[in-house]
Amino acid sequence: MTDLLSNFTSLSKKQLAELDGTCGWSLSALELAEVQRQFRGMGRQPSRGELETIAQTWSEHCKHKTFSGPVAFRAGGRVKKYKNLFKETIVRATRKLNKKWCLSVFTDNAGIVQFGKSGKWGLAFKAETHNHPCAVEPYGGAETGVGGVIRDILGVGLGAKPVLNTDSFCFGYPDSKKKLPGNSHPPERIMRGVVEGVRDYGNRMGIPTAAGGIYFDDGYLLNPLVYVGCAGLIPVEKIAKKVMPGDLIVSIGGRTGRDGIHGATFSSANIEEDTSASAVQIGHAINEKKTLDVLMRARDLGLYNAVTDCGAGGFSSAIGELGSQTGARVRLENAQLKDSLIEPWEIWVSESQERMILSVPKARLAGLEAILKAESCDYCVLGTFPGNGRLLVTHGAAKVVDLPMAFLHGGVPNFEKPARRRKVKISAKKPARPAKSYGRILKAMLAHPNVCSRHSVINQYDHEVQGGTVIKPMQGKYGDGPGDAAVIWPQAATLDLSDFSGFAVSHGFNPAAGKLDPYQMALHSVDEAVRNLLCVGAEISRTAILDNFCAASPRDPEVMGDLVLAAEGCHDAAMAYGAPFISGKDSFYNQAKDAGGNEYPIPISLLISATAPVEDIRKAITMNFKEAGSSVYLAGVSRGGMGGSVYNDMAACGNNFISPLDMKAAVRLYTGVLKAIKSGCVPAAHDVSQGGLAVTLAEMAFSGGFGAEIDLCDAKREDGLTPLELLFGESPARLVLEVVPGKEHEFLKLVRGLPVSKIGCVRDSLVLEVRDAGARLFREDLSQLKKSWKRELI
Amino acid sequence: MIIEIWTKERYAKNEEAAFLARLARAGLKADAARLSRLYRVEADFSEAEYSRIKSGLLTDKITELSSLAPRKTALKKAYRVEVWLKDSVTDVVGESVKEAVAHVVGRLPEAVRFGRAYYVSCASGLKLKEAVSKTLVNEVVNKFKIGKTKTGR
Repeated sequence: MTDLLSNFTSLSKKQLAELDGTCGWSLSALELAEVQRQFRGMGRQPSRGELETIAQTWSEHCKHKTFSGPVAFRAGGRVKKYKNLFKETIVRATRKLNKKWCLSVFTDNAGIVQFGKSGKWGLAFKAETHNHPCAVEPYGGAETGVGGVIRDILGVGLGAKPVLNTDSFCFGYPDSKKKLPGNSHPPERIMRGVVEGVRDYGNRMGIPTAAGGIYFDDGYLLNPLVYVGCAGLIPVEKIAKKVMPGDLIVSIGGRTGRDGIHGATFSSANIEEDTSASAVQIGHAINEKKTLDVLMRARDLGLYNAVTDCGAGGFSSAIGELGSQTGARVRLENAQLKDSLIEPWEIWVSESQERMILSVPKARLAGLEAILKAESCDYCVLGTFPGNGRLLVTHGAAKVVDLPMAFLHGGVPNFEKPARRRKVKISAKKPARPAKSYGRILKAMLAHPNVCSRHSVINQYDHEVQGGTVIKPMQGKYGDGPGDAAVIWPQAATLDLSDFSGFAVSHGFNPAAGKLDPYQMALHSVDEAVRNLLCVGAEISRTAILDNFCAASPRDPEVMGDLVLAAEGCHDAAMAYGAPFISGKDSFYNQAKDAGGNEYPIPISLLISATAPVEDIRKAITMNFKEAGSSVYLAGVSRGGMGGSVYNDMAACGNNFISPLDMKAAVRLYTGVLKAIKSGCVPAAHDVSQGGLAVTLAEMAFSGGFGAEIDLCDAKREDGLTPLELLFGESPARLVLEVVPGKEHEFLKLVRGLPVSKIGCVRDSLVLEVRDAGARLFREDLSQLKKSWKRELI
Repeated sequence: MIIEIWTKERYAKNEEAAFLARLARAGLKADAARLSRLYRVEADFSEAEYSRIKSGLLTDKITELSSLAPRKTALKKAYRVEVWLKDSVTDVVGESVKEAVAHVVGRLPEAVRFGRAYYVSCASGLKLKEAVSKTLVNEVVNKFKIGKTKTGR
């Protein structure tokens, strides 16, 4: 390899590819040729450190070349060209909406929106994925995923205080009968490891983990998806940051070792049989807690001008990012190490965890050092930001990197990726009559892994720490009902016990729909996230959303086609709901190849994370029935289409049509329902999503400890809808509301003209009975329904 | 020196049942199991100092028992499975204990590594190895060994 490196500028394409494979860079032939061309121009050979830096800086993980690159999308006979898919869809919607309450979008480690009544605070929100590391080592991968997204919040502006963690996972079915290739972990083991990793890191950091979800599909057997999110509070005057020439580069937190070398480039490649263990990081939550405590104290004393986290790519990425305008002069011999045999270039790209980089004025170093010592937090002064626009990294007398920043950050070549619409056969015919009774179907559906209780996972997380989790992940009379959204009162950050402002966080996720129609999947996901916020009484006109795309290899035009359609869906939904995207991330190459060379791609997967303010957390509502005698209303129109439903996963009914979402009607409906919630008419609301209306009613009933008598004769519905579609169809924009007996008249005034209809009453008897125009569809004992639902996932 | 800590039998039923269920899901029907935590302390401490670390730092005397030698169990036809992180993998628990040991003994040990021991009563060592590979270790980061146990209490 040394020979190849020392003759880099004269290597053939084949030799370049060989070198790339040996070093694990994941650069394309085009990119390697461009690097070669640049160094020929400089008249010298690159060092290993320089090539590692380029590979990391140009990686998919850091540069998002696919989403930010040009795409030619072919659908039928037409071709639509994008110069930058991300900017022309996601960013475009945010720019057009131009919400004044968006304080920082797409420019920092997380998006920031206004929070509270005082105008003093911003709410930072970010979600990340850590898929590839979790496929190789689930526990360590999940831990460091959580640690990484927390550092994003610590590194936004001059640092926000984390107040909420979120987690959403996709696994293969734990009881999958598919034969797994030799290099994979069984899904049950992956799930256990991931849950334990999220638990151990979040709990030790003292941050509540209170929102998220778990989704099962055999498409994730070899490539689990691990979405981790974090929200934090930041004073508005601490949002701006700027590195000043002459500032010192100070690394605080963990020491540098060999762990995690090539994490950034690893994320840009398919997982192969012999994927290396060195791409796995191991987290150390206590070190990160020390770092958090130092940062919050130093921020408030104004001891640094800028901060960012050491994520993928390590010092190379973090210092390169902070010094992109000023340049950076780095002396690696000053780094605090945990491995004495580490090579200089390895120090530069190591992804050892829990490290933050600060830009510190020389005059304030002593003040910072005092806090670091008081908190027993490791640190080192690595160098300076000189202001000459050049990156110079040395180790003693040896030069490791000497490159202009402009080449590193602007030199990456990009090329147009072909995309085409996937051909999927859609059938909208009437669904076949079920062989089982509706009651038996309901019980089977409640036990389905995508519907059943998540208590065995949620109970492992501390969702109460900081004392601000107002609406918890499990709700109801017995504290085990499935909540729609979490509501957080961040008094631990604001220290203001007289201000009851809070915020809600929810998610929308529907890859089953994405397999059939990625555009509708995006609409449904945004709708579900907004509807979940509505169900706790959040101010949905102030919804801000995050997009996290995960897909298989973008070299497949159909994968790119899915991405284009989903991105267009995101744009249209954001515009319709008035909900700007404030941050996001994409993860590609979620595709595994086994020893036999068979590819295992994931389905297109889009997690929408949403947040909205809750004006008064004391008025937030939960999903369980509260009182016998209350009326039960269905808001929204039930429509045909069993595509992507849990029912179809259990027993294909011959109909795989995805019910299209009428977004304008949904927004009108939600606005009216929110008025009713705010007026105190609605003590419980729950969305109709996975499993359909029957599951929603069952969950509201057994979580509240009340039965219900339901007759769907007045439920708004499309003509000719079958009982199966009505009970188990998953058409969007619907929710079930409980209305207080004495306030029904006021409620009806507030929702006048909207598709809201009374469907029954809450009863003391512990039975759920559902009829349609008098004909009984099922009558089931609540204890039996709950027994089916309350499975132990782990 | 390896210090072994385990939960007293009357408090260990839940963790043992959960462990047996994990093995069953991995295809091994085991009759009984016992679980221990292991701390490998690399230092030139005296026997008395190791005993202080064992009893004063690592053992909750109300719910746990401990030993400086491998534990003896009353299980019949039992195997002992020892699982550690590979030496190249950062051991967060071991690092924390290393600092705590220094507070107890007054000197920093060279290293502390954390591991687990599982005592499993089952018919086939081969099947046990398969189940261990499926559910207890990730060979990317873990190393393990399986041996026959000594019987006793």
